[in-house]
Amino acid sequence: MRKRLGIISFFVILFVSFIVVWNYSYYQGQEEAYIPIDTNKKVEVITSEIGVFERSKFALDYANMPSDNTHQRSLESYYKNRAFHGAPPIIPHVIDDERNMGENSCLKCHQNGGYVEKFKAYSPVVPHPEKINCRQCHVPQKTNSLFVATGFKGVEIPETGINNALKGSPPIIPHQIQLRENCLSCHSGPSAPKEIRVSHPERINCMQCHVINNKEMRDIGIFIRKISNNE
Amino acid sequence: MYTSTTNRRSFIKKMAILSAMTTAATLFPGILFANEQERGLPKGGNLDWKKAPCRFCGVGCGVLVGVENGKAVAVKGDPNSSVNKGLCCVKGYHSVMAMYGKDRLTKPLLRQKDSYVEISMKEALDLIASKMKETINTYGKDAVSIYGSGQWTIPDGYVASKLFKGCIGTNNVEANARLCMASAVTGFMTSFGIDEPMGCYEDIDYADVFILWGNNMAEMHPVLFSRILDQRLKRGVKIIDFATRTTRTSMAADKSILFSPQTDIAVANAICYEIIRKGWVNRSFVEKHCNFSKGSTNIGYGLEDKFSFKDNPQKISFEEYKLFLEDYSPEKVEKISGVSAKDIKYMAAHYGNPNSKVMSLWCMGMNQHTRGTWINNLVYNIHLLTGKISTPGNSPFSLTGQPSACGTVREVGTLTHKLPHGVVMNKKDREFAAKIWDVPVENIPSKPTYHTVEMFRALDRGEIKFMWIQVTNPMVTMPKLKRYRDGAKKEENFIVVSDIYPTPTTDIADLILPSAMWVEREGMYGNSERRTQYFEQMVQPPGEAISDTWQLVEVAKRMGFEKQFYYNEETHIEEIYSEYRKHHNNNKHNMAPLEVLKENPGMQWPYVDGKPTQWRFNSKYDPACNNGKDFHFYGKPDGKAVIWQRPYEPAAEEPDAEYPFLLNTGRVIEHWHSGSMTRRIPVLHKAVPEAYVEINPNDAKRMQIQTGDKVKLTTRRGEIIIPASVNGRGVPAPMQVFVPFFDENMLINNITLDAFCPISKQPDYKKCAVQIEKV
Amino acid sequence: MPIKSYLAHPYSGKKNELSEAISCLSHCEVIPAQNENILIVVTETETMDEEKFLKSKLETIKSLKLLTMVSGFNTNKIK
Repeated sequence: MRKRLGIISFFVILFVSFIVVWNYSYYQGQEEAYIPIDTNKKVEVITSEIGVFERSKFALDYANMPSDNTHQRSLESYYKNRAFHGAPPIIPHVIDDERNMGENSCLKCHQNGGYVEKFKAYSPVVPHPEKINCRQCHVPQKTNSLFVATGFKGVEIPETGINNALKGSPPIIPHQIQLRENCLSCHSGPSAPKEIRVSHPERINCMQCHVINNKEMRDIGIFIRKISNNE
Repeated sequence: MYTSTTNRRSFIKKMAILSAMTTAATLFPGILFANEQERGLPKGGNLDWKKAPCRFCGVGCGVLVGVENGKAVAVKGDPNSSVNKGLCCVKGYHSVMAMYGKDRLTKPLLRQKDSYVEISMKEALDLIASKMKETINTYGKDAVSIYGSGQWTIPDGYVASKLFKGCIGTNNVEANARLCMASAVTGFMTSFGIDEPMGCYEDIDYADVFILWGNNMAEMHPVLFSRILDQRLKRGVKIIDFATRTTRTSMAADKSILFSPQTDIAVANAICYEIIRKGWVNRSFVEKHCNFSKGSTNIGYGLEDKFSFKDNPQKISFEEYKLFLEDYSPEKVEKISGVSAKDIKYMAAHYGNPNSKVMSLWCMGMNQHTRGTWINNLVYNIHLLTGKISTPGNSPFSLTGQPSACGTVREVGTLTHKLPHGVVMNKKDREFAAKIWDVPVENIPSKPTYHTVEMFRALDRGEIKFMWIQVTNPMVTMPKLKRYRDGAKKEENFIVVSDIYPTPTTDIADLILPSAMWVEREGMYGNSERRTQYFEQMVQPPGEAISDTWQLVEVAKRMGFEKQFYYNEETHIEEIYSEYRKHHNNNKHNMAPLEVLKENPGMQWPYVDGKPTQWRFNSKYDPACNNGKDFHFYGKPDGKAVIWQRPYEPAAEEPDAEYPFLLNTGRVIEHWHSGSMTRRIPVLHKAVPEAYVEINPNDAKRMQIQTGDKVKLTTRRGEIIIPASVNGRGVPAPMQVFVPFFDENMLINNITLDAFCPISKQPDYKKCAVQIEKV
Repeated sequence: MPIKSYLAHPYSGKKNELSEAISCLSHCEVIPAQNENILIVVTETETMDEEKFLKSKLETIKSLKLLTMVSGFNTNKIK
């Protein structure tokens, strides 16, 4: 008799503990999975400052590259592809694949440049290869005719030769830095327009001597003292 | 088509030369031909190129100034200078434009009530002399003072020191280098017993690893940084940026390690701990050439008036030092500094690697520090423990901020306790100086009076009644500025300011003297690597402006000291320099004679037997070593350097609930110090027209602040409204902000704190608690 | 009128000697490099014969290790 009671109570306890544990794990499972968001992300890169150094590991190669006078481009051909100074250039050649957005297909030639026999020209190096949706801004030209004529006149193009404060002093940067942080991509190598190709690409830290005096927005004017500094 | 055969011939000749140059450049990248620097410049004309050291930072680049028809019209780097090898930075390339701002001071101005009246230079000098005599008679010798500058030329500092210490008899001589290099000096004096770096810039060509301790070298010592970048391109050296915020230097460096402000002390100790633990200590070097010492701790922050501190050094053993370092294991330091133990071990491994040469470079991050002397000691500890010192490539290099903080303030000794050779407290040194100065030795007082912060406090309290300020702008650069500006403006104080442009300092002056700037007068500067460089007078100063040296000489003569100030106006610079050289006439400090300076792009001291000493304390290179051993740290009496036990102590003002951010101040490459010169150069002004406050992007997002929004910074000293810059040129760490101090229209020093290192008395501009809010 | 430009390599340590020796010759201009052991030599003569003679004179200079021509123009052909 006692033995029977013992076995029954054993199974009762087992059953009760099963209910308890099952309920507990069910309610535990109900809680929402919560992964806290990491708000304090370390800022790894300052785009306006790192661009200057990005192609610097190739600087000696750039310095040793011979200039190719027959196939180089000039500022005139540079601006032919742009609607106005600062506009993204159109794609002047035929593109094979209509359905991609760019990235690895465009960067195959435009990441590092090089001579292209088909077009008898040097492929320009893109200063912002991290932006992979190329065709968001760069479009091809399918036709030469216009729908309706336009009277648009673009902003003044910055000239070379007038950006030095003194004779022989380093010219200031007359254009914006945004999207052009990488100096070496446009100012050195055989794909650089000949008027702006620098004689010293191996010096790396461009902004040590060349500062931005971008007058595109508005002229900052000269320094004016506030006459009274008394509180 | 072509006009004449001659034209075509010269054109073809040019083409031939050009192709030869290009071919040579493909064989030897970086090749320089003398004429190439002049390409693009009009040939002929009256352009005369004369050499000078640059007017700006402590790198001391050699420049060539192009003078045409009595005006400076162009600048180029001097290819003969071993410092910069023909390269400058944007300030250097436009430096001559600083002389031609429209509001240049040309006549002395005397304040009458609320306006200024022009007087002649003769009247002004008479007035200064009579005011000084009157003040001395009424209030005593210690009521007059002079506050000079690390931009003073060597003759300026020398005559100031001679006049005030030798002739008048007061030690109230201070210079703004107290605010920039004092901790470096006390670091040298405590560790080595003698001032100034033991290495030179050539270490850059030999070192394998460069560790930058809290300095934005790409913007502050740009030409030296370019030399390092060049070495990386050619030799693959490593650059490690160890700083509190992300800057252009961090972008250029191979590794950027951020640390919490003030914890550089803890990290340096952790590196020493790791070096000892891993057995990288150069045992024979430490045994033969180093002693161990400890000083007082809990030494305060100098916030109270008349704060005084005397250190109590005690000798300890290597074992005690090791025991002390147990508290500074990388794992323990990780918790307070935010630098991972892995990164600490990474840096220690570079220092410890016996096969790599390490150069440590630092400037204001370590010097403008309430424990500046300590952190300087600690970095020397690292180099002494590993024996990486005084040999080519192994170099703890303390960079100087100003063009002549070394040359004038430290070498001539224009500080309250210094003489050109030695200190005022030492009887022998006073006798030595008095003999050369031709004054009775009783004139030179034996007790130092006030350091810079205390001197301005004394001006405020009324103990000083007369101050002459030359070549510096304390009303922009003193910390906790409001108190010192109010103090200087008090009625009973007579302030004379010698400057070239109207500045906030001339605004509070009673008498303003126009000075000649840089190459408008003759002079010499001494740069970070102990190189003294001479420059001749190239153009005439405007109006009645005269050099600071001649202003002091004329006043001295009017005060009755014609005998000591016997100098002839045409040759006075030469005479002063020859007299100055006598103070340093020994193997450890001999200055090169003027002819040597004129022929060469400067010359390093010690200049012994016609040769400069590049590496000091090393018997192979330094003829002053005479103890028969490999290294002789002759600054200390027993010839051994000192490894100091220094603990971590927190900053003077830590962030709290009311002021949760930390405020850091500094510079940008385009502007020099208080901007009085560089803001008047259009190119530089347009590049950075006004000050801003850098805010971390995460903090900015939380507070909804964008670039350009006006932000109010509040500290316990006051408040200021500044536009924000988010993700611009520099990114501070979370809960920290950074403001450049060049803008006299946004005086950030109104709200900073005047806490200083008790040993060096140099204020800490890099840390104080601030609250920010969007306006 | 031939105009030719050369790169002249001196024996080590003989750069100054070579530079002086060449500048003594007429119709010859020398531009030494500041920081490398090499010089640029430009010759400008009236006729081809003179040019040949000048070149042979150049080649006899003792401190000259190697003379490489970079470019040559003959202005007579183009009018």
